[in-house]
Amino acid sequence: MMRACIYRGLLRHFALTLRLNFRSRQAVIYGFVMPVLFLLAFAGIFRGDTPLLQHEMGQLLTITILGGACFGLPTAVVAERERGLWRRYRLLPAPMGGILLATLAARLVLLAAAALLQVVLARAIYGTPLPAAPAQEAVAFLFTSFSFLGLGLLVTAVADDVPSVQALGQCLFLPMIMLGGVGVPLSVLPAWAQRVAGFMPGRYAVGVLQRCSSSASGLSGQGFNLVALVVIGAAAGAIGVRLFRWDAGRRAGRPAWAWVASALFAWVLVGGAAAATGRLGPAAPGEDDFESITDAEVGEVTFDDLPGDNELATRLAPPFDAAEAQHMAEFRGMLEAWPPGRLEDKAQAARNLLSVAAVADITANLREAEIARVVFNVLVARSPRGELERILAWIILNPEGGSVVNHVPELGLRRRPTEAIVRERVTLYAKKLLGRLEGKIQEESQQR
Amino acid sequence: MPEPGPACVSVRDLTKRYGAVEAVAGVSFEVSEGEVFGIVGPNGAGKTSILECLLGLRAADSGSVTIAGVDALRSPGRAKERLGAQVQLGSLQDKITAREALGFFASFYERRAGVEELVGRFGLGDKADAPFDSLSGGQRQRLLLSLAFVNNPEIVVLDEPTAGLDVHSRRELGGLIRGMRGSGLTVLLSTHHLGEAEELCDRIAILDNGRIIALGKPSELVSRSRARPRLEVKTARPLAPADASSLAGVVGSGAGDQACWLETADVGATVTALMARLASDSNALLDIAIRRPTLEDVFVELTGRSFPAAGAEGQP
Repeated sequence: MMRACIYRGLLRHFALTLRLNFRSRQAVIYGFVMPVLFLLAFAGIFRGDTPLLQHEMGQLLTITILGGACFGLPTAVVAERERGLWRRYRLLPAPMGGILLATLAARLVLLAAAALLQVVLARAIYGTPLPAAPAQEAVAFLFTSFSFLGLGLLVTAVADDVPSVQALGQCLFLPMIMLGGVGVPLSVLPAWAQRVAGFMPGRYAVGVLQRCSSSASGLSGQGFNLVALVVIGAAAGAIGVRLFRWDAGRRAGRPAWAWVASALFAWVLVGGAAAATGRLGPAAPGEDDFESITDAEVGEVTFDDLPGDNELATRLAPPFDAAEAQHMAEFRGMLEAWPPGRLEDKAQAARNLLSVAAVADITANLREAEIARVVFNVLVARSPRGELERILAWIILNPEGGSVVNHVPELGLRRRPTEAIVRERVTLYAKKLLGRLEGKIQEESQQR
Repeated sequence: MPEPGPACVSVRDLTKRYGAVEAVAGVSFEVSEGEVFGIVGPNGAGKTSILECLLGLRAADSGSVTIAGVDALRSPGRAKERLGAQVQLGSLQDKITAREALGFFASFYERRAGVEELVGRFGLGDKADAPFDSLSGGQRQRLLLSLAFVNNPEIVVLDEPTAGLDVHSRRELGGLIRGMRGSGLTVLLSTHHLGEAEELCDRIAILDNGRIIALGKPSELVSRSRARPRLEVKTARPLAPADASSLAGVVGSGAGDQACWLETADVGATVTALMARLASDSNALLDIAIRRPTLEDVFVELTGRSFPAAGAEGQP
């Protein structure tokens, strides 16, 4: 058990690290001035958005955490190691793990200060709304920081000197900025780049931070993103601790790089899991914003252009009686278990389910009308009415958003229509269901 | 010098390998309480490796190290409580002040020296609140040395404390180390300045290729040397070689243009005889220098190699 004086020393180390950070012009520029410059740049680039920066706060906060954790932390620690400071720490009766932990804690406080500065400045300068779910935003910040500090620790462990930190940090920073949905929004990236982004932690960080910034539902449905951040951060952090060197004289050898590869394997695992569960579909601007759909917007949806339920397109069976329900029970079971229909992103899950009805309809499946009814039933069973209305309205108002599924052999639909026509039918089916929920469309059985 | 106390540091059969290189090969020595003990040797001799094993910076491959009764290899944390150290390449943050650094490093120990006392003792008073990067080389070295005293240690380990310092700073630091003698503090000092070791240490161990090749008081080591005092004499007219070699006490001689050297077993007798000979020859003495055997001569005798000049070496 550690003695009280060791705790006192570690606390002092924590406080001194913070104090010295603010005395270093370079640390202040990289830690605080650069994030503010990113804020100003984003405001210039996305000046058409209303409210300004609301949909970019996730990206901005991710950039701040990424920079502070993957550049700020390793630069400071490696510079100290080069000048023998960590060698001097090693002479203390405190465990090195404790000193490292105090260093990480100080860095976490610096990241929090920089993130808070961005939120406050965005509000003060551009009137950007404060986070819709502030407590959950703080939790998302902690998960993101955990992940990126783990990566920063790995960079610290393998970088032999400060220039190496810059090189390794850029290897993490640039791909995430360019392709990972951190700098360039995911929705404007080509589909292949969006899939690549699924193998990088930046996508998951932006996902959780943006959701808590713009939606009161906060971390609801963000379980996968949070787990992805933890897995990537824990793998990198554990290997970073294992490879950590207090002595500048010892260089990172070839075995160290094998360990780094194993840390990066966590990225592959996370990306693979995301791909296997249908989470790497193309994103749309504000894809997670069905929560922001207002009742007025739901009410503005019109249903005049809808084909009838028995016409050629978008056939829909009347509500099932017991025998019909029994007849379709097997398909319903398969549909309920179908992974793309169970995504935590409820809007995308709904779009995927509606895609099944659309594919059956376009390919003139013998049970097309019944399949559409099963899809409706599953959607109604999955979400409360108000939420389902907002989801459907959002799909109708963003017909090109998210992704659609145009090939579902696992559900017995083997033909593959084009994505464009699936999108069109998805919108029509969304309208048919929304109209029924609002009582603006009568069921055919009732008409009869 | 006070009588040495009981053994305060005991090193037994210590070995340390780096791959195929045996940096420390079965080294044993003891340091008594209150003693200033020097570990001397050229670059790569194993000085720093021994001190690093002792300080817990490196794990020894075999052997034992006892610090004030504590097994330093098994309980490095307890040993560190009793030790103060100044290690090579151990600098500080640019913007930390002397007062902050002393307070910070002291905060980890139960037994602590007062910050103000250390500031005064190491002459940092007017620079106590100045950032580290604004201090002169000597002031930095004094601050780094003072950090070895934040826990009121019983034993202080100084690894090449004067390396890289200018002459003035080295003298200043030498004065501080001399001040430790007789204070009851046990000091282990490594250096590759033989003269510095001879001047500052009560006993020294001369190290070569990871082994101790000589151990004892500097005067004893020098007296054990076969080397003799040497007179370097410059006269108005050259001394005849036969005249030089016939002087009392002379065991060897040689000549240059107007100078000659005389190796002697008895400095007093030779100088007296030389003066008499010059007077009788109406020759004038222009200059005379007496060069006594040094630790360098001991090293040369033991290894057959000259001791590398300190300034010509890199850091070990």
